[in-house]
Amino acid sequence: MGRQHIDLRRLRPTRNGNLSTELGSQATLLQFSTQYCGQCPGVRRQLSQLESMNSGVSHLEVDITDRINVAARFGITQTPTIFLLNAKSELVYRVGGIPNLLKINQELEKLGVK
Amino acid sequence: MTNLIDPRAPRFGAAITSAIAIIGFADAFTTFGVVSTFATLALLILFVWSVFLPSSHPYKFLFGLIRPKLGEPKELEDARPPRFAQQVGLFFAVSASAGLLLSNQTIVAVALAFIFIAAFLNAFFNFCLGCQMYLVLKRFGLFSK
Repeated sequence: MGRQHIDLRRLRPTRNGNLSTELGSQATLLQFSTQYCGQCPGVRRQLSQLESMNSGVSHLEVDITDRINVAARFGITQTPTIFLLNAKSELVYRVGGIPNLLKINQELEKLGVK
Repeated sequence: MTNLIDPRAPRFGAAITSAIAIIGFADAFTTFGVVSTFATLALLILFVWSVFLPSSHPYKFLFGLIRPKLGEPKELEDARPPRFAQQVGLFFAVSASAGLLLSNQTIVAVALAFIFIAAFLNAFFNFCLGCQMYLVLKRFGLFSK
C-alpha cells in the first residue's frame, strides 16, 4: 500500500507565523486551519506543546482560509484537520476536528516517538 | 493585530438567540401565527445589527451587565469565528423573512430550526460553525470576504 507523499514546499506551512518546511526527525503534525475556526488556536497550543516536549516532533500549520484548492485536493471539509507525517513526509494518519491527544500520542509512538 | 473578544460573549448571545428561535419555530411549526412573525423579525434585526454594527449590539450591553459577576475570562478569542457565525445566522434570518413574505410556513420553520440548532449547540456545547461550515460554503462559492 503506497502512502501519500505530502509536499511541504508546495503547502508553504508556518511555525509561529514564520514560513517553515522543516520536518520532524520522527514525526510532523501538520495542522490545517482557517481564520474562522474558533477551535484552531487551542489545538495549535496543544500540538505546539507536543512539539516542545518531543525533540523528534515538528508542528506546522497551513492557513487555508483563501486556499480552497488545498482543501479540495486533500478532501478537507472541517478545521482543524491534522495530518500526521512520518520522517519521509508520508501521510500516516489524519483526523478532522479537535484531535484526541491519547490517539495522537499512540500514533506518534508508532513512529518511534517516546 | 486581530480583534480579540471575551469568548463567553458570543455564547451568551447565542443562548438568547436560540431561545427566540425555538419559540418562533414552535409557533411556525404549529399555528404559524403572530409569535413566529415577531420571532423572525426580531432575529432579522438582531443578526443585521450584529453583522453591520456589532459595537452597539444589545447582546453586548446585556453581557456587560452580567460580566462583572463572571470574573475575568481565562483567555481571549479571535473575533472572526463568531462573526462568521453571525453572517450564517443572518442568511437564515433572511430566509425565514422571505418565508414570511411568501406566507410559506415550511420555509419559516426550517430556517428558524437551523438558527436554533446552530445557536443552541454554540451556546451550550461550544459548537464552532466556522470550523464545520466555512470550507464547505467556500467550496460552493457561497462565502466571500
